[in-house]
Amino acid sequence: MSSSATDFLSRLTDVPVANRLAAAIDLMAQAFPERTAIVEQAGSAQRRGISYGVLAANVKAVEQQLVDQRPRGVVARQREIDALVATVAACGRQQVPLAVVADDARDLVGALHDWAVLGDGLQLSVGTTGIGSQAGPRREDAFDSASAQVVVATSGTSGPPKLVEHSWDSLLAAARLSEQWRGLGWLMVYDATRWAGTQVWLQALLTAGTLVVPASRAPDCVARAIVEEDVSILPATPTLLRRLLTSAESGLLSKMKLARITLGGEAADAQLLAKTHAAFPGVKVTHVYATTELGEVFRVVDGRAGFPAEWLGKTLPGGVRLTTRRDGELLVQLSRDTAEVATGDLVERRDDRCEFTGRRSDVIVVGGAKVYPRRVEEILRGVSGIADARVYGLPSAITGELVAAQIVLADPLPAEATPESIRAAALTTCRTALEPHSTPRLLDFVKHLMVNTSGKIPRHSSRL
Amino acid sequence: MNESLLPVVRKAILTVLHDTGRSAQAVESGHLLSTDIGLDSLDLAQTIVLLERELACDPFRSAGSSPTLRMRTVGDLVTLYEAALSAATLPPALDH
Repeated sequence: MSSSATDFLSRLTDVPVANRLAAAIDLMAQAFPERTAIVEQAGSAQRRGISYGVLAANVKAVEQQLVDQRPRGVVARQREIDALVATVAACGRQQVPLAVVADDARDLVGALHDWAVLGDGLQLSVGTTGIGSQAGPRREDAFDSASAQVVVATSGTSGPPKLVEHSWDSLLAAARLSEQWRGLGWLMVYDATRWAGTQVWLQALLTAGTLVVPASRAPDCVARAIVEEDVSILPATPTLLRRLLTSAESGLLSKMKLARITLGGEAADAQLLAKTHAAFPGVKVTHVYATTELGEVFRVVDGRAGFPAEWLGKTLPGGVRLTTRRDGELLVQLSRDTAEVATGDLVERRDDRCEFTGRRSDVIVVGGAKVYPRRVEEILRGVSGIADARVYGLPSAITGELVAAQIVLADPLPAEATPESIRAAALTTCRTALEPHSTPRLLDFVKHLMVNTSGKIPRHSSRL
Repeated sequence: MNESLLPVVRKAILTVLHDTGRSAQAVESGHLLSTDIGLDSLDLAQTIVLLERELACDPFRSAGSSPTLRMRTVGDLVTLYEAALSAATLPPALDH
């Protein structure tokens, strides 16, 4: 890249945080208007590229409407990621409060009924939004919209989604603006309206990169998008990465030129990390621990599962302090003057590591005894012929819950194995390695596992 | 209708025995679930889930029904499901 672009990132760090996304898009649009900012429907015949020049023009168009109409706030209600990006950039630079709300959290926007709405057409509609008319009486615990800068909804992995208030500072806190991040291809498998998703597209577009959004999450489509669009950074949940490794065409896997995989949203186990290093020799694997409420807390870069046990009880660089409750729940204090937050994540010390054993809310209780589904899944995934597994609790009148599992078979199956022989092997392995109440009582074969919009495995299913 | 569900219940119990690494055995109406067949509460819970899949009915959860928890023998289990299935086919007005 030319020298004018070399100092691009250092120029950006001088820009006020709220203006930074719009400024980054403008700088790129001036220097390289034709450079692709976003690829939508990647890996399919409907592939569509959006240049930095077009993106910058869209930002300007939204800003003009904000200047003309001065809404109290804007609810971004978009499916097209380029429209969402333009909205976020414009609201930042015009200092208009913004709510980025995923589909399943739309019920919550009643609290924002006097805000304007921007859809895919980028036409601001104030007043007759349809939100206000459905809002009903304002609840006492309704969200306080008056002071908000940025509002994001949580993924609802462990409860109903809720609105969380952020500042531009916290939204952009994790973005890395150093030179090594400039001009890379980023895969976007997350929902762009959720915390994890915002972090990926902000990072890509703040650093002159290209954001690649696959047409679907089907492993082959994701794999094609990575290969065809020259993706080098893959942010994903362990569930999505596991699916890619076990189900995508192996010819495509070997053509990938990934430099870095950033895992988040769920804990990654040692098995998956080993498989990843085998499939992509030399790739850097980073594991980000973040929540919608806290933002990024820490990242682990040594490629091993969990985090170093010596981190517990110490103040880490950056001021974060990690401790555990007696039952193993991880507690986080972001800095000396903030309150300690219970994360709901359970950790267990194994030698020099603290490994994640699951979410407190994922625990299955069978006849009063606790079962950690992650542990059972790890054992099932270790059985020859099993590509992936999901373990969940099935309600039972007799024992409260019963452990059940869905299994994805390897394709092709190992020589001489049949689904029935693999089922028997899985049950035997579980019986040997686990307590009777932890052994799955129902094993079903499925084509692929249910993955929710956050790219995670939902744990509690309604009955069949 | 008497004992018509015995083969279904027997099949579920044999699946449980098989899945837990035990050998098949005779399953007859008069057999005690615990001492004769050796089912513990986990086995019983699994049996009930298997029967729900087979019969699309769970007498422990059906609205309005409060099964008398008399479940000592295989025959008790058969009776329970037969009662639940016939209740499910009654018109709603007579459901109580």
